[in-house]
Amino acid sequence: MAFINYSSREIQLKIVYYGAALCGKTTNLVTLHKQITHAQKGELVSLATDADRTLFFDFLSLNTKTLPGFTTRFQLYTVPGQAIYNTTRQLVLKGVDGIVFVVDSHWDRMADNVESFANLQENLIENHLSLVQIPYVLQYNKRDIPNAAPINYLEFTFNNRANRAIAFEAMASEGTGVLETLNAAARLLLAKYSKSPNANVTGLSQPNAATVVPPPAEEAGHAA
Amino acid sequence: MAIEQQLADFLAKSEAQWSALVDKGGNLFAQYGDTGTLDLSILSALAAGSFAATHELAKRLGESEFSALYHEGQGQHILMSALHHECLLVTIFGEKTNIGLVRFYAQQVTGALNGLLQLAREKESQVGPLILDGDFLNGPAAIS
Repeated sequence: MAFINYSSREIQLKIVYYGAALCGKTTNLVTLHKQITHAQKGELVSLATDADRTLFFDFLSLNTKTLPGFTTRFQLYTVPGQAIYNTTRQLVLKGVDGIVFVVDSHWDRMADNVESFANLQENLIENHLSLVQIPYVLQYNKRDIPNAAPINYLEFTFNNRANRAIAFEAMASEGTGVLETLNAAARLLLAKYSKSPNANVTGLSQPNAATVVPPPAEEAGHAA
Repeated sequence: MAIEQQLADFLAKSEAQWSALVDKGGNLFAQYGDTGTLDLSILSALAAGSFAATHELAKRLGESEFSALYHEGQGQHILMSALHHECLLVTIFGEKTNIGLVRFYAQQVTGALNGLLQLAREKESQVGPLILDGDFLNGPAAIS
């Protein structure tokens, strides 16, 4: 739930990166921490095991001046992807405002992706929430691997709800598509504070019209 | 008394170093005192996470009553006390005081803070939604 402090003119919004184990959630935050230079960013905190697997969450805070007259603080969290940490995922989802669901494009990981998407919906219900109320964007990550599943397959599998979400192709380890994904999620969250929200931004005004945003041209060539 | 004033009063009485009102999602609502150069949003996120994990552990052990959590360090200690409306009071204190004193005054301020949170909750339902001009984060305004 967004927290608005009228006296200090500050809005805090929580975005959670969700997805199967090893799909690239932490890599998204690491890359954002490197790439973001203009917004005021905090330290990247990782509660991880010795083998760099997320144990509790990763956390990155960004202060922006995106709303007139307010400081908007985006608090980015990841969840641990491994199946055993489900209770932890439920805890991290507490008070969530928006979600980035990261899909691993590798064919062999499809079952894990599907299971994680179902698990997200279950855990939202545990927190008395659902994907109908919580804005979310999809990120098809690891587009550069040789046996990546085709985009139309991923769209059919993860984006066939009545209101289609905005989806991004990404290569998080190389930094492609990561900022775009975050900005889309942030725009979705902020749209509800706008007198005239941009229909293209919310993506919800035209069911089945949302498109997958490909990576920038030079990277697209590299992916092929 | 406003929330910051309650916290200031609590710090003066307990001689603790820093105190904050944080929600269980990790948002920092109000704070008072001195933590030096520490990043307060990180502190809040970790405190909320730590409290949530311990609370869940207690629940699984069949402990229904779980109102406070205390971490003892060598020089600095942390006390976290549960408040109503999904909030926490986080207090950091050093050698100037002791856990007994901090816990005693924390229990006192908890009642006052719960009252203020209840008032804020009632007021929230009367305040209209925040609506501003423009659509945001387009073009050069994007996060970069």
